[in-house]
Amino acid sequence: MAGETSGAEGADKGEGVVAMREIASRAVAISKVYGHGETAVRALDEVSIEFPSGQFTAVMGPSGSGKSTLLHCMAGLDRVSSGEVWIGDTELSRLNDRRLTMLRRKEVGFVFQAFNLIPTLTAAENVELPLAIAGDQAERSWFERVTGEFGLAKRLRHRPTELSGGEQQRVAVARALLSRPTIVFADEPTGNLDSRTSGELLGFMRRSVDDFGQTIVMVTHDPTAAGYADRVVFLSDGHIVDEMAEPTAEKVLEFLKRLGD
Amino acid sequence: MWRVTIKGLLAHKLRLALTALSIVLGVGFVAGTYVLTDTINKTFTELFTETTKGLDVAVRGKEAFGGQESAEQRQPLPAAMRDQIARVEGVRAAEGSVTGYAQFVGKNGKPVTTGGAPTLGVSVYATPELGESTTVRSGSLPKGAGQVAVDARTAEKQGFAVGSRVRIIFQGPAREFTVSGIVGFGEADNLAGATLAAFDLATAQEVLNRRGVYDEIDVVAAEGVSPETLRDRIQAQIGGGYEALTGEQYAEENAKAVGQFTNVINIALLSFAFVALFVGSFIIVNTFSIILAQRTRELALLRCMGASRRQLMRSVLAEAAIVGFVASLIGLGAGILIAIGLQGLFEALGADLPTTSLEIKPRTLVVGLIVGVGVTLLASLAPALRATRVPPVAAVQEASMAAPARVGWVRITVGVVMTALGVAALMVGLFADEAGNRLVTVATGAIVVFLGVAVLSPLVARPLSRVLGWPFAHWAGQPGKLARENAMRIPRRTASTAAALMIGLALVSLVTIFAESLKASSAKILDQAVAADYILTGPSGGFTGFSPEVVKQLSAQPQIEAATGLRSGSFKIDGQSKGLTGIDPVSYGRTVRTDTISGDLGDLAQGGLAVRKDVAESKGWKVGDTVTMQFPVGGTDRIPLRAIYEDNQINGEYMLALRDYQRHYQDQLDVFGFVKAKAGVAPPESRAAIDRVLAQHPSVQVRDQAEFKQEQENQINQVLILFYVLLALAVVIAFIGIINTLALSVLERVRELGLLRAVGMTRGQLRAMIRWEAVIISVLGAVLGLAVGVFFGWTLVSALDEEGITEFALPIGTLLALVVAAGVVGIVSAILPGRRAARIDVLRAVTTE
Ligand SMILES: Nc1ncnc2c1ncn2[C@@H]1O[C@H](COP(=O)(O)OP(=O)(O)O)[C@@H](O)[C@H]1O
Ligand SMILES: [Mg+2]
Repeated sequence: MAGETSGAEGADKGEGVVAMREIASRAVAISKVYGHGETAVRALDEVSIEFPSGQFTAVMGPSGSGKSTLLHCMAGLDRVSSGEVWIGDTELSRLNDRRLTMLRRKEVGFVFQAFNLIPTLTAAENVELPLAIAGDQAERSWFERVTGEFGLAKRLRHRPTELSGGEQQRVAVARALLSRPTIVFADEPTGNLDSRTSGELLGFMRRSVDDFGQTIVMVTHDPTAAGYADRVVFLSDGHIVDEMAEPTAEKVLEFLKRLGD
Repeated sequence: MWRVTIKGLLAHKLRLALTALSIVLGVGFVAGTYVLTDTINKTFTELFTETTKGLDVAVRGKEAFGGQESAEQRQPLPAAMRDQIARVEGVRAAEGSVTGYAQFVGKNGKPVTTGGAPTLGVSVYATPELGESTTVRSGSLPKGAGQVAVDARTAEKQGFAVGSRVRIIFQGPAREFTVSGIVGFGEADNLAGATLAAFDLATAQEVLNRRGVYDEIDVVAAEGVSPETLRDRIQAQIGGGYEALTGEQYAEENAKAVGQFTNVINIALLSFAFVALFVGSFIIVNTFSIILAQRTRELALLRCMGASRRQLMRSVLAEAAIVGFVASLIGLGAGILIAIGLQGLFEALGADLPTTSLEIKPRTLVVGLIVGVGVTLLASLAPALRATRVPPVAAVQEASMAAPARVGWVRITVGVVMTALGVAALMVGLFADEAGNRLVTVATGAIVVFLGVAVLSPLVARPLSRVLGWPFAHWAGQPGKLARENAMRIPRRTASTAAALMIGLALVSLVTIFAESLKASSAKILDQAVAADYILTGPSGGFTGFSPEVVKQLSAQPQIEAATGLRSGSFKIDGQSKGLTGIDPVSYGRTVRTDTISGDLGDLAQGGLAVRKDVAESKGWKVGDTVTMQFPVGGTDRIPLRAIYEDNQINGEYMLALRDYQRHYQDQLDVFGFVKAKAGVAPPESRAAIDRVLAQHPSVQVRDQAEFKQEQENQINQVLILFYVLLALAVVIAFIGIINTLALSVLERVRELGLLRAVGMTRGQLRAMIRWEAVIISVLGAVLGLAVGVFFGWTLVSALDEEGITEFALPIGTLLALVVAAGVVGIVSAILPGRRAARIDVLRAVTTE
């Protein structure tokens, strides 16, 4: 296991050089305005950002700063008011609902803060759901590898109500990864978890970036969580205000303190 | 607490609207039925008051033979009695009148049929007071042997005008008359759908076979003599065999007879209304269960804040009462529309009901409201009870929507016991000979069976949905799979939604099976018992007879081997009224196969009686005994028993020799005829021979066996369609239930649906998922319904074996079509909920708490 992991890491580092230049997803001057006239809220204001392949990005910022809006727009769950959103080679604003749905199915994974699973389906079925919806089948070995990595092998036949909160979120992340999407978005995936389970989940996410070369963008409030990422983007009032590479929990905390002043 | 109730109502107004719709339809049906029958009663009461205008006392023979089996038959009055009555003190005028069978022939040469109402021939009154009820619209009253007056409706429909020549068929040969006038009855154009041919008295007596007698003597009182006094005086004069009654009594009696008839309609329609309400109550149970389950947290919060169980209960029931009340009010309005619709339905089926303004009695409103509110309250009782059991702690716990699906032994026990009791009641009602209200027992049994099956259905809902959902899970991709999971998710909800449909489809399949069995049985009777090639029937399908001349002339044809006519009448034996058939034993024996156990049917040629085996057994008669029978003409007679026969479904219980029949009955009309062609004569030749004879008797219809079977099937089908139409409401309500359940489920699963969209489900797939769930539920209901319906049908047919329904026919094709139709309508019911689901905003669904 250990050997495998280091092997994969080595391979990733090799690809990493190339991957740094390959962009999984990017936003070009996107704005998002809710409502009209007097009551209009500009949740995102001309935001441009790139998410390189194989990178784990954390998005931080005060409540109401537009983090969720950014994620939703980037993931094709919501439409931007202006600007362009690219996933791989596809620009989202020109897609109709159907094409957008197809794109979400194949290219995007999503993890919410809560309620990620269909209660009538078992953990395994939930993991396979996006593929099943597409009428595809998961590659057996890949499925076993992902669920194995996430420590779900023994829980696959359980229904969501029989799983702990941490396990449920692990199923959700496994689901997001299974179709090998171009990018996975996670909106406060650890928001409802205690620190130990959070740590476990973040560890799994980190490993999926390292081992499988997955691209992940995660919104979080927690500096510790941000410490698992390769880079942190700071959002405030719909603007990207700063960015930090190779973050650690301490550095992030420090930065937030300064931002607060 | 009240504020919570009201807020709850407002918050769920959309969901409650569909529930209310089921009550609206049920109450509407109830109210519509009352409005319709009250209106018919009113119309007739007005008509009878109109027609007895000017009549003070009427005298007629006592009714000797009432009962449902025969029309009223009275001893006619001798002509001399008129003079006797005219001499009674206080009589200003007395006049005899006759009524009989007279049928117009239309311009197309075909007899004018009425769809059940009589075709009357009557005499007109010479006395002006008595004639008051008849208003001459144009021309004048008939005078002399060549004139007739026609009712305005028939004249209009047939294009008869004053001066037209019309042909009229009587018991004897048809005759031609000149129309002297067109008459009405006050405002009414005819007498409740009957056709009327009026002649002067002498002509009427001649053509209606009433020479020297009257059916009735009508009296006008002298100034200052009350009808009651005069009635009593006349009664004293005429003796016990006759009765005198005042004009008022006469009208009342007629109105009562109509009342009995409308009462039957009333009960019949109300039973369908009841079915609709019964089905509707399932939907109420379901809606309240779902809404309350969704409000678990809210209810628990109220409990936390100190609301007592009783308060919660009251709050929920108040909500139900308000829904029931509002729905009933709307239902009453709908009822008036339904009354108009039912009137149209009857008219479409040929029953021409007179129309006046609709009669809306306070009783209708009160019953409608009580029924509507009552059903709603009753149905919400169980969900309300469940709501009060919500523990306060549920307010702070994660809501668990899905109730754990454990096998409840209480449910099994209750369900099995109820089903068993229901089946037992059904069997007792159907098979036990014991007097008492069998219909009530059967109906109660059926209801209890339905409830029992409904109680059990959650237990089978899961496995059955799994089986029925298999094709979807395997061929409809992930949406199909999820649809199956959803159908299995809350078995109680799926089951009660399906149960509503079960009831409707059980009844639909029951009547279908019954009708098919009826067709098969009568076809078999024809094949086995009827040796004849052709069957003759009178006008209006055997309600009225035809002249014996027909059979006589047919017998004389060289192509015909034998022709026989059957007459029917009633008599009294041991104080009971019974029906008999009058036959000519020789020709009858050649056309109808009868197996005798003892004696010989041919011996009836000397006069006498033959009875069915079971009658002979129960009475302890043997051939050679004499039987004392009381007849309408000639009173009591002792008739020798000549033969005892096996049941062949045609002969009936008693058969009387024609020569005895002729002595004991006034009207000599064949109601049925059988004709057998000579061997070796080709069917077209024998048919042509018959057609030649019948050219003189246009009211008689001839059919060969195949045509007769077809005709019977058509008649059965017509009734079947009426049943389908009436049951359709129950089925429609059941589908409203499916829409409702699905819509509620969609609302409940907003987040889940949003999540599915987020992970790549298209709107179409989402709609497909809801669609397949609807199909699974409706097919589940159909399958349960068919199971119950086939069982009911089989029991009913077995119970009626003795009444001639010997064959049990299972119309597999139709039943399968029902299942398919249920599936299709399931697809339709899913349209609205599916659209709603597809409209769900992905973000709202996944981000809101
Ligand atoms: N559906 C919506 N309608 C109107 N305003 C919204 C909507 N969603 C978010 N907003 C507003 O947009 C801003 C950014 O919201 P959001 O992206 O959820 O912030 P965050 O996730 O950083 O807390 C906030 O001011 C919020 O009130
Ligand atoms: Mg947010």
